[in-house]
Amino acid sequence: MYEFTQMGWLKHVIFHPVEGFEDLRWKKQGSMKIAMVIVFLLFVDMVADRQLTGFQFNTAYVKVFNVVPLLVQSVVYFFTWVIANWALCTLFDGEGTLKKICIYSAYALVPYIVCSYISIFISNFIVEEEKVWMTAIYYLGLVWSVVLMIQAMKAVHQYTFKKTIVSMIFTIVAMLLILFLAILLLSLFQQVYVFGYSIYTEIAYRIRG
Amino acid sequence: MKHPLRKLLSLSLAAVTAMSMSVTAFADEPYNPYNYDTWDDAIPSQAAYRVEKTITGSEMKLEKLRDPESGVYVSDDAPLVLNDARDLSVYEENKEMWVADSKNNRILRLDLDTLEVTGCFTGVHNSSRDGFAAPQGVFVTKSASLDEEVVYIADTDNSRVVKARITNSTMLTCVQEYFKPEEALYTAQTFNPKKICVDAAENVYAVVSSVNSGSVQFSRDGNFTGFYGANRVNVTAAVIAQRIWRMIASDEQLEGMQRNVPIEYANFDIDNDGFIFTVTEVDTDTDSVKKLNPAGYNIWNNAKGNNYKFGDLTSSQYDPLTKKSHTTRLTDIDISDDNFINVMDFETGRVFQYDKECNLVCIFGTKTSTSDQRGTIANPNAVESYGNRVYILDGSKNDITIFIETQFGKYVHSAFKLYDEGRYTDAKADWDQVVKRDGSYTYAYIGLGKAALNEERYNEALDYFETAYDQEDYDKAYKYAREAWLKDHFTLIIIVVVLLIALIIVRKWMKKKGIKIFKKKKKRLVSVGTGAAGISAQNFRKEEKPADDDDDEDDEEEGE
Repeated sequence: MYEFTQMGWLKHVIFHPVEGFEDLRWKKQGSMKIAMVIVFLLFVDMVADRQLTGFQFNTAYVKVFNVVPLLVQSVVYFFTWVIANWALCTLFDGEGTLKKICIYSAYALVPYIVCSYISIFISNFIVEEEKVWMTAIYYLGLVWSVVLMIQAMKAVHQYTFKKTIVSMIFTIVAMLLILFLAILLLSLFQQVYVFGYSIYTEIAYRIRG
Repeated sequence: MKHPLRKLLSLSLAAVTAMSMSVTAFADEPYNPYNYDTWDDAIPSQAAYRVEKTITGSEMKLEKLRDPESGVYVSDDAPLVLNDARDLSVYEENKEMWVADSKNNRILRLDLDTLEVTGCFTGVHNSSRDGFAAPQGVFVTKSASLDEEVVYIADTDNSRVVKARITNSTMLTCVQEYFKPEEALYTAQTFNPKKICVDAAENVYAVVSSVNSGSVQFSRDGNFTGFYGANRVNVTAAVIAQRIWRMIASDEQLEGMQRNVPIEYANFDIDNDGFIFTVTEVDTDTDSVKKLNPAGYNIWNNAKGNNYKFGDLTSSQYDPLTKKSHTTRLTDIDISDDNFINVMDFETGRVFQYDKECNLVCIFGTKTSTSDQRGTIANPNAVESYGNRVYILDGSKNDITIFIETQFGKYVHSAFKLYDEGRYTDAKADWDQVVKRDGSYTYAYIGLGKAALNEERYNEALDYFETAYDQEDYDKAYKYAREAWLKDHFTLIIIVVVLLIALIIVRKWMKKKGIKIFKKKKKRLVSVGTGAAGISAQNFRKEEKPADDDDDEDDEEEGE
């Protein structure tokens, strides 16, 4: 039973929210390559949402386009999630490895990405009155992905449902912590750099006399 | 060798100086014209008004007031300049401009074209007090009941408002006086009217200092009838916090607390339709400019989901001319005959002009820079408009600056007028001219877009709205454009749909029969027999049983 290709496994997981991830785990399947493609598509989705949404729905400030925040909001957030979850679940007796968490989380994101693409696409053909369709599709994808994510985390760590929810909430807290520390570190390094640079200029001036 | 070098040097230096001088000497407006785009970013624009001239006491020929022959003789020591003049009023029928020359305790009447003095009034006959004491407001209108020109004067330090008719060029006769109301409703200790306004039924509205429950309203016969159009308390975090404190505070504590009161408004004006427009100094979010209906309710209400903004949109504006940051303080409002709204910002000396739908038309004027250039304003006390001119009264330079609309301003005004009447197509030519002069004038594109929409050129309209970044109108245009597209391509769409349905039916039928067209797929399939074309009924039955789901079957097969 369950002899799928890698793409077949992805499809199986998405359309079988209850058992899919357990099957995936049981069969020791899941491809890192596909996971990375999904994360990349998430990033592309962020960009598309900003740039390709129909004119009447696009609330973005079009004068400036900066890709860095979008990159942070997609790729960086995803990997922070993975690392935070992994770090937390070593404490919470989770069974998932870093690689598995990464793969399973990415797989769970697919409905959100797909629905978001669809809603971006149809936003180009609808008017304000029909916006409800767009939002409906978007939220369908979002809810589906959340359900999948819960199932994925449950399967990867072999948790009970309650523990999964608790661990996910803590993961979000840990994510905030990680990002906060990262920003702190960044500004610290920046100050170190500025310090070093000012010493360099000082010395350079002295030498020049 | 030394001499020719020096000559050359001095020559080139002279040339450079001359060139740089010619650069600084070209005639330009003393202000930087700008406008706000869809994102509320300030962007440079064309000047819609230019400074025509400034009029001081000598240009008004105030020396006539000392000349017994002139007909406007007052006294031998009549002041020859204005002194902290506070208000302007225009009476179009007789082409008069009235000035409340506050510190000189007099009201001046000027000819509207030449701005020469034609009358000077230092008091009112047949009234409780003859002379004026620092009159801060003047309002001239035609009285329907008397059928003649009447002047209303806010005689501030005399605590009264006087309604008077003109006897001759130096004498006013009192018709009615309005004093401090005796009613209990009026709680203020003093009555110092600053500005006045009169509606068609000759109700008098007075802005009184330290009265914050609206303007004081009098009926024609001098009775106090109530307050009109009070501002609301601006809800800030401090106000909410105080609300909560008030609930738990004791009576003694409550006494010590500051009360949250709305801000009194600074000035008002009445338009031709009888709507009163008020302007409030601080507070640019709520109630900064209001259009009041006769019941005193604000027609422009942001609480209803609209977004009316007045003054500079950033809370603090850096002005490179004065090298200072400003916060907007709107102090005067004027409604022109064409229903354009001029709002005066006291802090920056700028006039913000809006059309009757509150769309920003243009911004002009500036405060005195260090160079004290002509056309800059030190203390803008009043703004008034007549025809294509805007008059700004300066209380510290004691002059009147006259702005006249430029060619650009003419096109903008004409376009906005037609646009507001809904004559989008007629406005097109004007908008085209506006775009030629200022390519980033947002409203021109909206105007052109609406014209295109009216003429059913939907794609063009979409283009214009996109340029203006007007999403609401784009949405409307898109609805029509989509409808038109569907109508035009109806047969094609039907054909495509029919073909698709047919394709699906055929595919289903082919699947049922086990006919496969795509040879590639066939090769990868393992469980299905290779000779698909002429498959027998027995084979078909065997195949069907294990395959519950088509998709699953495919996947399974691909995997192998």
